[in-house]
Amino acid sequence: MTEPGPILSTERPPTGAARPYTFPRVVRKAVAGGKVVAAHLPGHHLAVAVLMLDGGAGREPLGREGLSGVLAKALEEGTTRRDSTAYALALEGLGTELTIATDWDAFQVSVQVPVERLPAAVELLAEAVRTPRLDPADITRVRDDEVTALRMYWANPGPRADAALRADLFGADQRPGRPMDGDPDSVAAVTVDDVTSFHAAWLTRFGTLLVVGDLDRIDLDELGTTAFAGADGAAEPAGPPLGVRTRDERRIILVDRPGSVQSTLRLGHPAPHRAHPDYVPMALAATVLGGAFTSRLNHLIREVRGYTYGIRAEFGHSRRFGRFVVSSGVQTAVTAPALVDAVGEITRTRDAGVTEPELAVARAWRAGQLSVELQTPRAIASALATLVVHDLPDDYHATLREQLLSTAEPAVSAAAATHLHPQGLTLVIEGDAAVIRDELVASGLGEVVDAAG
Amino acid sequence: MPETGYPWPIETTRLDNGLRVVVSEDRSAPVVAVNLWYDVGSRHEPDGQTGFAHLFEHLMFEGSVNVAKTEHMQLVQGSGGSLNATTNPDRTNYFETLPSEHLALALWLEADRMGGLVPALTQETLDNQREVVKNERRQRYENVPYGDAWLRLLPLLYPPGHPYHHATIGSMADLNAADLATFQAFHTTYYAPNNAVLTVAGDASADEVFALAERYFGKLVPQSDIPPAPDGTQVPATGVPVRETVTADVPAPRVYLTHRTHPFGGPGYDTVTVLATLLGSGRGSRLYQRLADGARLAQPDSVGAFGVDLAYAPAPMIVTATARDGVTADELEAGLVEVLDGLADGVTGAELDRAKALLTTGWWRQLASVDGRADILGRHATQLGDPARAADRLPGWLSVTAEQVSGLAAELLRPEDRATLTYLPETQEEAS
Repeated sequence: MTEPGPILSTERPPTGAARPYTFPRVVRKAVAGGKVVAAHLPGHHLAVAVLMLDGGAGREPLGREGLSGVLAKALEEGTTRRDSTAYALALEGLGTELTIATDWDAFQVSVQVPVERLPAAVELLAEAVRTPRLDPADITRVRDDEVTALRMYWANPGPRADAALRADLFGADQRPGRPMDGDPDSVAAVTVDDVTSFHAAWLTRFGTLLVVGDLDRIDLDELGTTAFAGADGAAEPAGPPLGVRTRDERRIILVDRPGSVQSTLRLGHPAPHRAHPDYVPMALAATVLGGAFTSRLNHLIREVRGYTYGIRAEFGHSRRFGRFVVSSGVQTAVTAPALVDAVGEITRTRDAGVTEPELAVARAWRAGQLSVELQTPRAIASALATLVVHDLPDDYHATLREQLLSTAEPAVSAAAATHLHPQGLTLVIEGDAAVIRDELVASGLGEVVDAAG
Repeated sequence: MPETGYPWPIETTRLDNGLRVVVSEDRSAPVVAVNLWYDVGSRHEPDGQTGFAHLFEHLMFEGSVNVAKTEHMQLVQGSGGSLNATTNPDRTNYFETLPSEHLALALWLEADRMGGLVPALTQETLDNQREVVKNERRQRYENVPYGDAWLRLLPLLYPPGHPYHHATIGSMADLNAADLATFQAFHTTYYAPNNAVLTVAGDASADEVFALAERYFGKLVPQSDIPPAPDGTQVPATGVPVRETVTADVPAPRVYLTHRTHPFGGPGYDTVTVLATLLGSGRGSRLYQRLADGARLAQPDSVGAFGVDLAYAPAPMIVTATARDGVTADELEAGLVEVLDGLADGVTGAELDRAKALLTTGWWRQLASVDGRADILGRHATQLGDPARAADRLPGWLSVTAEQVSGLAAELLRPEDRATLTYLPETQEEAS
């Protein structure tokens, strides 16, 4: 059976009437010496609680990178009230595991449960954070397990390349120049005393409790009282931005991975910290260059050349420093041409800025993603964490949307010109050195050196 | 706790051309999820064409009669949307989540590539995406330790000719041989309205979606004889265990114990889901307690057990662990076998309750977003014939009894039905 006339509509449909997104109502309370920051999600079955403490990787002493990760594991090895098995069964019987995440700026411990179980889950969360057993034998064992786990992870392509990049950008003798989660050697150096001292220094402070869920069914005072019981000590200032210099000349660092069928690329240079006033135009410039699927880098290197499954560029920022990074994996045989193309697109973006059509996609995408991503309790909790770490106001996400939508092309092109440094890039390539070295030297992109270690 | 596992409304219709449309309205955020499940996956691929369903998924983003090459991505992201697609042995799905004022755009784009892909498909596009897929294979399967485990497990579990025998990513040789005419025919055969389910969840009413679906999809022509995949429902037990040992550039010995169980969707598979959670999820699980904590054979983060939710043949259940320093693959395997074999002797009510509590949270977590809901509804509509069956999943898990778990272990997890895959490091680790 055939139909007369076209079977497909040739007219692209118009956009309907937009219904504005509103970030959930934020509630801030001072409870029992600590701060509670909550968001109301009526009707949700699940609720999330996160205890945020200022004990991130940035607080770790040099040479002990990964210490906070060892402490995170040690928290689950029993409390002063019950052993590790009893603890796991009590917590998982509520339907949650303890999720512990550390980044540069924070140590976050969270639970996610059906809302009626939240008080019991927060009690168990606080029990692990505030009164862990920290038995020396357990600490030693989880430390050794972490060393093994990191060794497994470091067998993958990527971690060694990223470590080489960090060391080159920030200096291997600086905390930001070392891997955020440490490496097998730095974790092996962690002692029992390091762990108990780090706990005493950073996990006994009040911190902030984030709560997301149907607040009509949640008693924030009760949860705060539980989370802050026994806590002590004032908050510690984060410290000023680090002010890292970009290198004068581009260089290539080769990390050997014999027999690798792909070359893993990590290209980068230092960038401003999170609170820098150019945050929004920088984000938009990076979206045009390598954030969206239709970005310059992905279009050329994946869609036109077929060199890769994907390539992306982004600025990553923490409280005290930031960096610009391009990440990809390309087929070994095209390593040098892929690098030439990538450096070319970064240079073009710095020199000629972005175009209005590209920027329109970037603006709409980044703004729309705020609505699309901020649906679940976990996602809202993560947004609240951003407010807390960077000391942002309750209307931050609404303001951010307006800024994303209203930032004009000249501001974004200016941010690209100011904050992209193709001439000072460090190009780290983890791949089969015997196959790619000559080509890299011949590319003329920069001096080729071998990664240390 | 709600009585149902799906407390949102579900409305369905079927267009004259056979397209099934499912709508689940929720106005709490101005966001809408669109999800198309096509009933075609790698199980439909004949010999010599492995990887074609997945390569085809890539081609669906490369333009159609009214949408220029790369414009699909640009229009969705330029509307603030997220989008992606996945292919597995069973099916191919395409999905986007957008601010709801762009719902019509999303449906128009999906209709254009359902009804108008073939005229836009060029040799250049095929050649480019073939290279992208080969790079995906290198990145995800070849260049990472243990990355090819799934590729090795499938042929151990399913005999030659079985629709699950080969992996969805396909072989490099078949991908290299792919020609344009085959892909044009592939689209004509399988990308028909009567072979798809369109689900919309979130900020839209059923009436609005049904009207838009009629406008954009209503004139697409159905395909009258879509060839079914080979029947894989019966996999004759050989009564002989199989094993493969791989020596490779891996950092530690790893063991996979695998079994064929039940197809996804019925009480049997619900029992598999509960059993796997009891066995391998969390620090309170049997594997963690006995192998990571107790005997200290396994690396703590490495133990796990899970069912792979496949619907058209007995689905795999995979139990895995990686050896702690100084532990051999044989010692680790013996430990895993002891725990797995012990399930048939019975499980406790406390173990069962722990597994059900974790599954309950996991279920609501998946349904917390409109995209999670759309996918669940599309799955149940495509594979079980009715999206409302989604509401049965959680109650199904919660009704599983200890006897059912141990009974399933005794019936399906027997040593003689086991396929074992072991990885050994190439060189002995130095003592540290």
